[in-house]
Amino acid sequence: MYDAVVPRLLVIEDGNEYEEFATLFLADRFEVVAVHSAAEALEAAPGTDAMLIDLRFERARDEDLLGDAGEAAARLFAGDLERARRWLKEQQGTLILGALREAGHDQPAVFVHDFPPRRLANLARLYGRVGAVPTFDAAAIVRTLESLA
Amino acid sequence: MSSMRRHPLSLVLAFALAPLGLAACAGTEPVDGGLSGASQWAAARALWHIDRDPAAYRAWIEIDPATPEGREAHRLLAEAEPHYRRGIERVRGGDPEARESFERAVRIAPMDPVLYLPLARAFRDQGRADTDNPHLFIRAAEYYRKFIALVPHDPRTEEARAELAEIDPEGSRLFAPPGEVGEAASQPLPAPQEVATWPLWVAVAALALAVAAIGLLLWRSRERLESLDSLAERKPELHPAIHYLVSSLRHELLKHRIGAVGSAVDALREGRASEAQIEFLRGRLYGGEPLTDAWHGHLAAFRRALGPELDLHRADKHFRAGGRAIEAIAKLEKRLAAGDARAFEKLSTAHATLRELDKRLGQLAQRLVRTSVDGALFRDVVDAVRGEYAAGAVQLDEVVIRSPEPAPFVEVFRVDLVLVLKNVVRNAILAVASEEPPRRIGLDVDTHVELTGEETVRIHVRDTCPQELTTEDIYARRMSRGLGLVTAALSRYDGAIQVEPADGEWAKSVVVRFFRAYDEE
Repeated sequence: MYDAVVPRLLVIEDGNEYEEFATLFLADRFEVVAVHSAAEALEAAPGTDAMLIDLRFERARDEDLLGDAGEAAARLFAGDLERARRWLKEQQGTLILGALREAGHDQPAVFVHDFPPRRLANLARLYGRVGAVPTFDAAAIVRTLESLA
Repeated sequence: MSSMRRHPLSLVLAFALAPLGLAACAGTEPVDGGLSGASQWAAARALWHIDRDPAAYRAWIEIDPATPEGREAHRLLAEAEPHYRRGIERVRGGDPEARESFERAVRIAPMDPVLYLPLARAFRDQGRADTDNPHLFIRAAEYYRKFIALVPHDPRTEEARAELAEIDPEGSRLFAPPGEVGEAASQPLPAPQEVATWPLWVAVAALALAVAAIGLLLWRSRERLESLDSLAERKPELHPAIHYLVSSLRHELLKHRIGAVGSAVDALREGRASEAQIEFLRGRLYGGEPLTDAWHGHLAAFRRALGPELDLHRADKHFRAGGRAIEAIAKLEKRLAAGDARAFEKLSTAHATLRELDKRLGQLAQRLVRTSVDGALFRDVVDAVRGEYAAGAVQLDEVVIRSPEPAPFVEVFRVDLVLVLKNVVRNAILAVASEEPPRRIGLDVDTHVELTGEETVRIHVRDTCPQELTTEDIYARRMSRGLGLVTAALSRYDGAIQVEPADGEWAKSVVVRFFRAYDEE
């Protein structure tokens, strides 16, 4: 993946903190492409080499969210639709990754989140090349992406 | 072993392991062979779960394994044993949380007395490694004595006596083999057998009381200046509040302001930070609310919620170190702006201290709200419900309990999970009461992986009552059937309850679902 002239990093988040971080600390390794929803991510994914994904999309609009809030409310939250919507926002990054994989985009993906090992293993089983770093650490992000390449 | 001094392991374990040693060590007569299997099993269970008699193991193991009660007894003993062994390994490794394994095991079944020997040795070895902590040798001696008393004919008893003599030469004489007692009796001393025993027992009892009193005093003095871990240990009812406060501190300060600048701190220290990176660091550390105000604001929130006497800065060394690191960072602003290399080093050190605090708080938050969904939990629930007047009067033909190994954990305080399950189990028992035999209920658990990588733990309460029950019925009846508390708890813990249809063996299953908690082992 690093044979290209400048690898392209797809940054997927609901705000601009990841983009700011990537521009400051990863710009020497990647061209940064930032998007803010599943739809934008699916559009921008072709031609990118790696993904840096925010897990929580608390600022996203309900209509931009992936996932069925009604089904989640009935099955997981005792009918609480509001809580189900909140859960979809809190976990939106993984659902967007699922949609990208379903669309055939299998680039290495890294979350900035301290996932427990078992959950990270579940994500890897579901979505292939997935890694995580517990905090904003440019060197660790690069190392993780390289290990997944 | 310094961590053992921080957490007074010997005292904490004294409480956790008390069930292993409260009763007399001289052995207990086997349960009356004339009792029926069910009565014998009930008596054996009472011997452990009520009396906490360490000799209960013998009563359990002697129940005929060809009977259903015997199979259950032997299965539970086998289920408990790995937890006891794990606990011993954790003591051997100096793990201050070793009691968790013992607490889990104690809820299931008594400990095989032969394990007192490795337990004694584990404490002895820790005592040798941590010579400042005499409690470890006291514990070791106690377990050596129990081993010798409960399994006097074990081939290793002589070794145990010798090892006990090494750490407690005086006390070990009490446990000399009969031959040596006989030799002592042959000496020209007046009435040796009679004077040799009871005064020594009294002396040992007095010594034990003195040790307990000193321990209690130490414990109470620590109580006045306790760490957050200690407060959480002592007051489970505060777990939700502590969890919320810790999570807020971690998210708002330690992650977004401190954690976020890790790469910039490294770049500064290594002399390769760009202007933009320095500006980013300055914004996070010195922009907006001053770091010290934010820190003290969080500490004040802890005091407001947990009590004005909780002075974390004074009583908790990790918070004290964190506070100093925050103060240090706050004072570095001008020196950092001036490019002072020593300031970069100081910033790096303070940053590492706060990252360590964040890590510790993360571990604490995880620990507070985790319950193992295992056979012991299910049995506690069924026993509690069967102890009630109405549900206890129902003639059940079978209670089937199944649990996987390892058991999954959920992020629900145990007391609340028991409350939820008691309600569901009570309703199942009362439902089958009106039906013809066979009347059966069952409890089991499985897990399901969600698309988010999370897992849900599904606790099934099954019954043989053919009357239809829907999920809507449960919510509609919640006020009249005690399920209001259930739905409130489900809401608090992101749980759900659903009715699933028959699967052949059962008429229906009420499924209580929670998210799985990770990092259980």
